[in-house]
Amino acid sequence: MGDNNSPPDSPKENPDQNSDSNPVAKDDSALETIVRKFQDSMSMSKKHKFWETQPVGQFKDVGDSSLPEGPIEPPTPLSEVKQEPYNLPSQYEWTTCDMDSEETCTEVYNLLKNNYVEDDENMFRFNYSKEFLRWALRPPGYYTSWHIGVRAKASKKLVAFITGVPARIRVLDEVVKMAEINFLCVHKKLRSKRLAPVMIKEVTRRVHLENIWQAAYTAGVVLPTPITTCQYWHRSLNPKKLIDVGFSRLGARMTMSRTIKLYKLPDSPATPGFRKMELCDVPAVTRLLRNYLGQFAVAPDFDENDVEHWLLPTEDVVDSYLVESPEIHEITDFCSFYTLPSSILGNQTYSTLKAAYSYYNVSTKTPLLQLMNDALIVAKQKDFDVFNALDVMQNETFLKELKFGPGDGQLHYYLYNYRLRKALKSSELGLVLL
Amino acid sequence: MSEWQPLLQSIFIGLIFSYLVAKLISLVVSFKDDNLTITRNTESNSQSKKTVVLLDENPRGPEADLGLRLAHDARETESMIAELGSVRNESLPCSDYDDDDDDDWEGVESTELDEMFSAATAFVAATAATSPAQKVSSDVQLQLYGLYKIATEGPCSTPQPSALKMTARAKWQAWQKLGAMPPEEAMQKYIDIVTELYPTWAAGLSTKSRGGDDDAVTRESKGPMGPVFSSFVYEEESGNELKMDAVHAFAREGEVDNLLKCIENGVSVNLRDSEGRTPLHWAVDRGHLNVCELLVSRNADVNAKDNEGQTPLHYAVVCEREAVAEFLVKQNANIDIQDNDGNSPSENWPWMRDAVKQSD
Repeated sequence: MGDNNSPPDSPKENPDQNSDSNPVAKDDSALETIVRKFQDSMSMSKKHKFWETQPVGQFKDVGDSSLPEGPIEPPTPLSEVKQEPYNLPSQYEWTTCDMDSEETCTEVYNLLKNNYVEDDENMFRFNYSKEFLRWALRPPGYYTSWHIGVRAKASKKLVAFITGVPARIRVLDEVVKMAEINFLCVHKKLRSKRLAPVMIKEVTRRVHLENIWQAAYTAGVVLPTPITTCQYWHRSLNPKKLIDVGFSRLGARMTMSRTIKLYKLPDSPATPGFRKMELCDVPAVTRLLRNYLGQFAVAPDFDENDVEHWLLPTEDVVDSYLVESPEIHEITDFCSFYTLPSSILGNQTYSTLKAAYSYYNVSTKTPLLQLMNDALIVAKQKDFDVFNALDVMQNETFLKELKFGPGDGQLHYYLYNYRLRKALKSSELGLVLL
Repeated sequence: MSEWQPLLQSIFIGLIFSYLVAKLISLVVSFKDDNLTITRNTESNSQSKKTVVLLDENPRGPEADLGLRLAHDARETESMIAELGSVRNESLPCSDYDDDDDDDWEGVESTELDEMFSAATAFVAATAATSPAQKVSSDVQLQLYGLYKIATEGPCSTPQPSALKMTARAKWQAWQKLGAMPPEEAMQKYIDIVTELYPTWAAGLSTKSRGGDDDAVTRESKGPMGPVFSSFVYEEESGNELKMDAVHAFAREGEVDNLLKCIENGVSVNLRDSEGRTPLHWAVDRGHLNVCELLVSRNADVNAKDNEGQTPLHYAVVCEREAVAEFLVKQNANIDIQDNDGNSPSENWPWMRDAVKQSD
C-alpha cells in the first residue's frame, strides 16, 4: 500500500504503512501489476510516514557524507520534555508494568505468548519465558517506568506493551547512553487501532525524561534507516522434530536417516577446560569481552555488573561457557547463548520449539569453530532443537562449516537519534538485542 | 385564454430554473464540504508538526468515483485521528465492537474473516486509486461504505448531516440504515460484494500469500520493530546426483495405490536407486508403516542393504521409528547385521534385543 488510501484497519501494527519493499510480482493479473507498479513508484518518498517525522537516518540522506556523524538532534532541556503521557484512544489507559510482581509478569507473558512475533507462515510464535522477561527487563540501572503497558479501561486487560532498558553502547569511538527498545506488542484484536506509533512516542518520552536521547532497536522490516542488516542462520540439533514441525524441510532426494546422521554431534565438548561460567569468573570474562568487543563499530560497553547480569548463567534463560586453560588456569575463551522457545501453532505432536540463540562469543586460544562446536554440543545436551545465530561479529567464520543453514529471516538494526555516516557490514556489529 | 399560456410557460420555466439553482447550490455545498475536510486535516497536520503523517497528496485524482472517494476521505480522517491519538481521538466514535469483545480477547487470534475483510478493504482502496476503468455504481459504493463503517465502528451514532450535503447524507443513510448489524456480518457482506464485483481478487490474494510476499502477511508477522522469527530457507538440493525411480517416490510419499500399480506392472519390489536403496528403505525412512507392510507382503527383502550396507532396520533405528522397527523385527529382519561401518541395529537400540526375546 504505497498510497494514502490504505484503510486504517488493515491487519498490521506498523507505524509506517509500507514496511515491506519486496518488489515481487508473481501475479499475472493486469490489475495486480498496476497496483504493484503504483506501490513501487510510491516507494521511498511516501513510505514511512511515522519514521520520517523521527530523528532517525533518512533514506534521502543515505550517502550524504556532509552530514555529521553523531546525534541528529541535540538533547532538549528536561523541562521542555512533555510531562504528561501521550493520549491513547479513549477506551485505553497507560500502565507501568512492574515485572517484580508475579501477577503483572504473568499478564505480560500471556500477552506476548499469544500476540508477539510469528513467522511468515504463522506456524510459530515466540514464547519468551517469564524468567527471560524478568532478566531482559531488569538489567543494572533499569527504569520501571520504561516497562509500559496499555490496558483496556473497562476490563483492565493488558492489550499492548513496549519496553526500554538502559545500555551503554559504543558507536565507533563514542560511548553513548541508550535505551534498547524491545517487546513492542499489540493485541491481535487491536492491530487496527494503530497504537504502535503512540507507544513508540510514549517510550521515547519516558526515555527522554531520564535524560537519555538515543536508542537502539531491531526490526524485521526495513525502516529509515538500518545501520546494518543481519541474516539469521540455523543449526539443526533435532532434525527429525524440526522437519516434523515444518521448521525445516526434507528434500525429496534426501533421507531422514542421512539427515539425522549429518547433524549428529559428539556426546560431550571436546575442548579441555571447557566449563560453565561461574560468579567468580565475572572479572575475567569482563576483561575478555571488553577487549574483544573493542574491534566492532557498534557494541555494548559492558562493565562487571553488566556481565554478571547478562552473562552469568541463569537456568532456561542464558547459558555461558568458558575455557580455562588446564595449566595456568587462565580464562581464554567464552561462548554464550540465550534460550528462546517458540510455540508451535497447530501441530498435534509438538507444542514447543526450543531454540538457543548465539549471544556473545570470544575466542583467543581455542579456535572459534571448535568453541562453537562445543556450544552446539552443550545445547544439544540441554535438549535444544535448534541453535540460531546472526552473521554478526565473527560468526560468519563458523556458520557454514558447523552446518548452519541460512534462514528466511533478516534482522535490521537501527539507532534512534544517532547518525552513522556509512552503513556497517553485519560483521562490524558487536551488539545482540534479545 | 391567451393570457394563461405565457403564465403557464413562465411558471414552468421558473420551476425548472429554481430546481437547477437548488441543484447547483447543493453541488457547491457538497464540494465545499469535501474540500473542507481536507483543509481541516491539513491544518491539524501542521499543528502537530512531527507527530503526524501527511494526509494526502491525493493520488486518486478525479477518476475515482465520488462515493468511493468520500469513503476514503473518511478513512483517512480516521487514520489521522488514530495517528494523532492525543489531539483528536475524543471525536472517534467509540465502537461497541471492542467492548463486546473484551471478555474473549485472551488467546483470540485475528480471525480469517478479519483478515479477508482487511484485504478486501485494501483491495478496494487500491482499485479505486488505480483503475478508473472499473466503474462501480454509486449504490454499491454506498453499500460498501455503510458495511465498512459497521464493521469498523459499529452502529451509526453520529447526527444526520444537513439535507444540503447530499453525499454526506447519502453516506450517513447508507450507514444508518444497517442499524445494529453485527460487525462480522458486515465484514462478510463487504467481502461478498467485493467478490461479486471482482471475482478474482481473492485469488490474487492467496497467490501472494502462498508466495509469502504479501505485504499484509509480512507486516502482520514481522511487526513494526522487535525480533524476527526465522526458519530454514528451503533450498533444492543441488549436487545431489541421486537417481531414483517412480516406485521409490511412491514408497517415500506413502502413495499405496500408485505403488501397487507399479508392482503389478512388473516393477521389481526390490528395485535399487542409485544409492542402493529399495522402496522398503524409503518407506521406513519416512515412517509409512502401511507401505512397509504392503512391500513385505509383496516379498520385499527386509534385509536389503544399501550402498552403505544399511538395511531398512538400520534406517528405522536411526530415525527412531519404533513401530516400523518392531514390524521389521517380526518379519525376521536381522538385528545384528552390520553396515559398512560395523554398526548393527541392535547395538544402537538395546530394547530391540529384549523385543526379540519376547517374540521368541
